[in-house]
Amino acid sequence: MCNFKKYSQLISVIVITLILIPACGPKTSASPKVTTFIFTQEFDTLNPLYSNMWFSQITLELWNGWAWNFNEKNEPVPYLVKEMPSIENGGISADGKTITVKLREDLKWSDGIPLTSEDFVFTYDMTISPKNAVATTYPYDQLASLEAPDKYTIVMKFNEPFAPWQATFWKGILPSHILKPVFENEGSIDNAEWNLKPTVGFGPYIFKEWESGSYTRFVANPNYWGPKPKIDEIFIRFVPDDASQINALEAGDGDLGTFIAYSDIPKLEQEGIKIIPAFSGYNEGMFFLISKERGHPAMLDVRVRQAIAMGIDRESIVKNLLLGKTAVPASYWDALPFYNTPPVQNYPYDPEASNKLLDEAGWVDSNNDGVRDKDGVELVLRYGTTTREVRQDTQAVVQQDLAKIGIKVNLLNYDSDVFFASYDKQGPAATGQLDIMQWSDTTNFPDPDYYYWYCDEIPSAENPQGANWQYLCDEELDSLFKLQATQVNPEERQKTYQKINQIFHDNVYWLGLWQDPDMWALGKRLSNYKISGVTPFFSIGEWEFSSGE
Amino acid sequence: MGILNIMIAESTPNLFVDDLETPPLPLTTLAWKRFKRHRMAMLGGVFLILLVLYSFGGSLFVEEKYANFTNPPIRLNTPSWQHPFGTDTVGRDVLARTIYGGQISMIIGILAVIIETSLGILIGALAGYYGGTIDSLLMRFTEAMLNIPEIFLLIVMAKFFGNKIPNLTLLGRTFSGSVVVIIVIIGLTSWMYLARIVRAEFLSIKENDFILAAKATGTSNTEIIIRHILPNSIAPIIVSATLGIANAILSEAYISFLGLGVQPPTATWGNMLDGANNYIESAPWLWFFPGLLILLTVLSINFLGDGLRDAIDPHSRAI
Amino acid sequence: MTRYILHRILQGIPLLFFISIILFVLMMNMGDPIATMGGRTATRPADRERLKRQLGLDKPIVVQYFYWLAGNDWTKIDLDGDGIGETYGERKGVLRGDFGYSLVNRGKPALAVIGERIPNTLILMVAAELVIILGSLLVGVYSALHQYSFTDHFITTLSFIGYSMPIFFIALLSMYIFAVLFKRWGLPYLPTVGMFDPQVGKTAGQVILHMILPVLSISVISLAAYSRYIRSTMLEVMNQDYIRTAKAKGLPRPQIVYIHALKNASLPIVTVIGLDLPLLLGGAVVTERIFAWPGMGRLFLDHVERGDLPVVMGILMLISVAVVVFQILTDIVYAWLDPRIRFG
Repeated sequence: MCNFKKYSQLISVIVITLILIPACGPKTSASPKVTTFIFTQEFDTLNPLYSNMWFSQITLELWNGWAWNFNEKNEPVPYLVKEMPSIENGGISADGKTITVKLREDLKWSDGIPLTSEDFVFTYDMTISPKNAVATTYPYDQLASLEAPDKYTIVMKFNEPFAPWQATFWKGILPSHILKPVFENEGSIDNAEWNLKPTVGFGPYIFKEWESGSYTRFVANPNYWGPKPKIDEIFIRFVPDDASQINALEAGDGDLGTFIAYSDIPKLEQEGIKIIPAFSGYNEGMFFLISKERGHPAMLDVRVRQAIAMGIDRESIVKNLLLGKTAVPASYWDALPFYNTPPVQNYPYDPEASNKLLDEAGWVDSNNDGVRDKDGVELVLRYGTTTREVRQDTQAVVQQDLAKIGIKVNLLNYDSDVFFASYDKQGPAATGQLDIMQWSDTTNFPDPDYYYWYCDEIPSAENPQGANWQYLCDEELDSLFKLQATQVNPEERQKTYQKINQIFHDNVYWLGLWQDPDMWALGKRLSNYKISGVTPFFSIGEWEFSSGE
Repeated sequence: MGILNIMIAESTPNLFVDDLETPPLPLTTLAWKRFKRHRMAMLGGVFLILLVLYSFGGSLFVEEKYANFTNPPIRLNTPSWQHPFGTDTVGRDVLARTIYGGQISMIIGILAVIIETSLGILIGALAGYYGGTIDSLLMRFTEAMLNIPEIFLLIVMAKFFGNKIPNLTLLGRTFSGSVVVIIVIIGLTSWMYLARIVRAEFLSIKENDFILAAKATGTSNTEIIIRHILPNSIAPIIVSATLGIANAILSEAYISFLGLGVQPPTATWGNMLDGANNYIESAPWLWFFPGLLILLTVLSINFLGDGLRDAIDPHSRAI
Repeated sequence: MTRYILHRILQGIPLLFFISIILFVLMMNMGDPIATMGGRTATRPADRERLKRQLGLDKPIVVQYFYWLAGNDWTKIDLDGDGIGETYGERKGVLRGDFGYSLVNRGKPALAVIGERIPNTLILMVAAELVIILGSLLVGVYSALHQYSFTDHFITTLSFIGYSMPIFFIALLSMYIFAVLFKRWGLPYLPTVGMFDPQVGKTAGQVILHMILPVLSISVISLAAYSRYIRSTMLEVMNQDYIRTAKAKGLPRPQIVYIHALKNASLPIVTVIGLDLPLLLGGAVVTERIFAWPGMGRLFLDHVERGDLPVVMGILMLISVAVVVFQILTDIVYAWLDPRIRFG
């Protein structure tokens, strides 16, 4: 044993010395500009149709892309299109049912083949083909038809006006000249080689290699139709956890990191690393099970939900657990000020008011066990979320806050594939086993559309995939949500959202815990970067090394 | 645990040769005498008592409420007089959590071993006593379970049973349902070696004259198994169960460390280590104390089990 | 001998079959692979329904198992949701060497996903095995020859500690000492995560450097156990008649120890090493997780998280096959080493 330890140390010292010698040698001055991005998750696939993974989707901007990007203010900017379709320029018909998109004429794939409307049509065909098991057919399944009258025009026709088109359509285009033969030969593009090795793209960079579990490399695209990118190579390194990411950033081994935990921010800032919050509409919040059949009777009473809202010291959670790096959201649409006008007011932390409300509602501690009750039912709620550390920490704090106002919560945690499992897979949220559910969600950002408040989304044996896990059927809310989805006129839509917001607030259908912007960390080496909450790398071709590097 | 047997088999010098020449003593006295001579086992026993006192006696001084009391403003504080083991990510006192975590870890260890032992005895006894098809079917099953490394089975089972059991309230304390899940899955994945041992014991004992005699007088099979064979094979079962507790505590720690075990706020030594990866440098007290306690407990039990084996089952030193 | 090997292999087949059923049943309830599909939001209801159908997850468990085992290329499956099968399936089934496509890395065969990681795990295993065997021989023989000395007692205690050491604890501790503290003290320190530094590239030196801590963590338990074991077999052999004879004949001590005694003592060790493969592989899961080693264990954890049945089943079946094969090999080597054993 001790011999072994001695030897291992000796060997390690020798090996280290051997390694360090060559590493210290002078670097050649003409070395290409390589920047390293640190990702905490590895891509599952790179085909935009097949991945739901955020890391895969944002990487699209490097080598593929969306028809239009969103800038750092989350406003749309044309990329593959000449201009954004609008009612004024005739791109959107007066009835809102037809959208005409004009493509740029100089687009080409990295192998020199022009990128045309044919590729758009092919992307549509592949998405809705039942032979391809793509991740989602939305929003293409909303189209009545898609036509390409010429090489640079596509016409999208809907049965009903489709308001959220900007935030949903054309996120990634497939090269028809590569994949069409595959589809014709194999009957599906599910297993196309391109999905994992997309050597043909059209972004400022092209895919080079992917070593499973370690890294992926992207190099400058020599055939890029836009301005030549300033950095020669982007090296994406996969690390398994936050700690490795932080270490890499601090050591200068990585120039960019994402999803920085709030608690790590001060440390990074000390090292001169810049932290940029990008608002992507995500808010961590609580959803409530409001159901006579499945839920706790107390949750049906709006006063109890208001008491919960005022009984949790959300400001303190944000201040202490998240080091005050974010804020408590007042509405689901905090990151979309246009749809949150005038902004709704947040519930304050006021346990006394909570106690009063609960007393009023008839929930009093009649048997002196420290927990309120009514008609023999104890006010004990089931509060579930995933196993993420910050969520479990929040749960512990919330449990303590609610205990102070006489509400007992039992905490439950699930892996996310269990937590988000559907009704027929006995998902705990989907089958109504949780009175309070916590997760972070966004709309089709930057569009406020939402589907899981519809009455017909309530899960049941007949509707096993239903997404209304609140089991809440509010007729007014239902019709307002359906109305807004067809309102192409922004002002009208804004008015509808004003009403929706008020309903949400007054009824406490959802309680925000913290705004959950994506925190980006950028090392000293990089400059001239802009980051969007929707398409983070929309300006990747302009990113530069700081002078002196 | 294959290695366990080997380890225990030869962990101490062969000190007891001359026992054979001493005049016969009552069995328990003899066992105690042997046990006392095993210094490391005695030390292990003393340590174990201290650890049990720490976990269970500690609750006389520290309330469970305090162990679960969150105080975010003092999160991740370094060890100090108020918090000798520091505070965790929501400002809970790590010392208090190791006390209550120890209770859960030990309870899990003991209850899992009860399941393990029951299953092991049941399957081993059935296979050994009846033989034939029952034997070969049960042994194939045992072999199949043995074939998959325990940790993989634990992970898969943790996902299988996970979250199907609601929280329990027992003696005024609320336990996460995941505690029950962990107990069950550890029990279900660890009975195989014991089953083999019991089977072997049964195979050899059932050929003895007194069993044949009992059979001839029409004693029922159940009675033979319970009243005659089992008492005669109790020594290896006790030893295996003792060591099983260490193994179960370790299993709990592994599975909780991987985030699939007992869910907070119920603390166990294992789940206090979950996420420790992120705090290796910044907050070593988060993982050091629970890790050390696991090590000490497992070590003590291993010493104790070793001594027990020498004391009550000296013949099983061979593999 | 050949008959014996054949017999053992034939015995292994129903065993593997048995294992696959147990695992498949367990796996059916592991969570919903299409719940989020790695995304940040839950999958849309319409997509869930369609994907379940297209990926065959809506079938009863017996049918799914059968498709997994024997494939579905002989039957028409329903892709478009009209309830009538119209396309032939494309899975060949495990019996024909097709473990299906990964549900995570879509379009990649499960075997390819696993295959990329196997070498990484093997490097770790082989290195650990070397350290274990060499280390335990060294320690074991030394303490056998110095029986009851202070060092012997010291090693006994130390090996008990090593044996009781949870892998994660030794891993965290060694990371703290050799990476964090060494760095703080200005000493050359070891890397803690990954297989190589991307700035340098995947060179042999890099890989060795990154292997030191993981190998140390995996080896400690077995090293402690084996050295005890070797010590005792050595002691036993040293008391045998032929060694006494050799001693009496006045053969030089090194020759007795290293040629006669060690050779005979190493016999049981072979068995032990062969049979402890599951333990070693199990240790790799935790170690690879902590040190972010891109091996099979980490792959397993990552894919269990997303309910990737083809890959998870693939890994577990490969391990089971490896364990069975190793058991047979162990038997053969044992027979080969020990002339007294003849398999009928």
